[in-house]
Amino acid sequence: MKRTLAFLFCLPLVASAPLVPLVPINEAGFQKLVEAHKGKVVLYDFWATWCAPCRAELPQLALLEDKLRAQGLQVVTISADDQDHKAAAEKFIQMFRVDGPAYLKQADNDDHFINAIDPKWSGALPALFLYDKAGHKVRSFVGETDMAEIERAVHRLL
Amino acid sequence: MTKAFAILALMAGTLCAQEFKIGSHVPDFQVRDLDGKPVAFSALKGPITVVTFIATECPVSNSYNHRMIDLYKDYTAKNVKFIFVNANRSEPANEVREHARRVGFPFAVYKDPDNVLADRFDAQVTPESYVIDSSGVIRYHGAIDDNMNESRVHTRTLRAALDALLDGKPVLSTQTKAFGCTIKRVRRAS
Repeated sequence: MKRTLAFLFCLPLVASAPLVPLVPINEAGFQKLVEAHKGKVVLYDFWATWCAPCRAELPQLALLEDKLRAQGLQVVTISADDQDHKAAAEKFIQMFRVDGPAYLKQADNDDHFINAIDPKWSGALPALFLYDKAGHKVRSFVGETDMAEIERAVHRLL
Repeated sequence: MTKAFAILALMAGTLCAQEFKIGSHVPDFQVRDLDGKPVAFSALKGPITVVTFIATECPVSNSYNHRMIDLYKDYTAKNVKFIFVNANRSEPANEVREHARRVGFPFAVYKDPDNVLADRFDAQVTPESYVIDSSGVIRYHGAIDDNMNESRVHTRTLRAALDALLDGKPVLSTQTKAFGCTIKRVRRAS
């Protein structure tokens, strides 16, 4: 609620604030990212501006991270948009006040990229991958998922 | 009792897992036309058949509308048959009909009520295609091409699979993945 109110009151400020550029990432970069985040429970959120359920999920993930950050949760967003939609993706990240590291997929081949993230993943969005503190992938949530279910899974790892 | 149901649900889940895979034979199946009448695969198939799961609201699927029309025109001339299927619970037959009219699809679109067929194929996204050869075996599964933005396409994998089969050659790239919208499935009790 507090965040929603802050979001509404700050909208004019947000609209004029400089955009934080999304950092390009490929499959090798993702593996480095996982290494770098060892010690934290991490939710990697793959989303796109064209994906309505992803857009609906982003502010809820931001809230979840706010709630559990102190306990060690980190949300990392990776947009699957192409370069033409980079600015739009950056605006969404800014608008939904997602504070965690934000990336833009920059892969030569989406098929290879998807398989490198998870061979069982079809490429359907939204897709969330939950990693434990040791940097092991423990769960995936593909498609619209109940946020309470995600929170329960995160809690088990904190 | 609850445990028994849980075990049954698990067994059902296993039994309902992907039935049609690359190299497997596809038995006859049914889809529904937009009036709700059942139509058998055996009545729709050709020497080579493409089954593609599509959507009305998915921006990725919609970005392929004209490419699907071109595919249909180019390969129908070569006696390839196409079965376009909407398995989304959120997109009823009247919406599918209106969408097809608005886009100008020259082909029929069928419904897959309760995503039974999508489950058998284990189709997850839209658009997602399967190519079935003359002996009823799946020879290709995956994306139409490698980019939803047509100007950035490098590899037309579905066309490559069809060309190979038409030439009597093996399909080199049999499985490809691409980002897409999830198929909006019915929620089954577990």
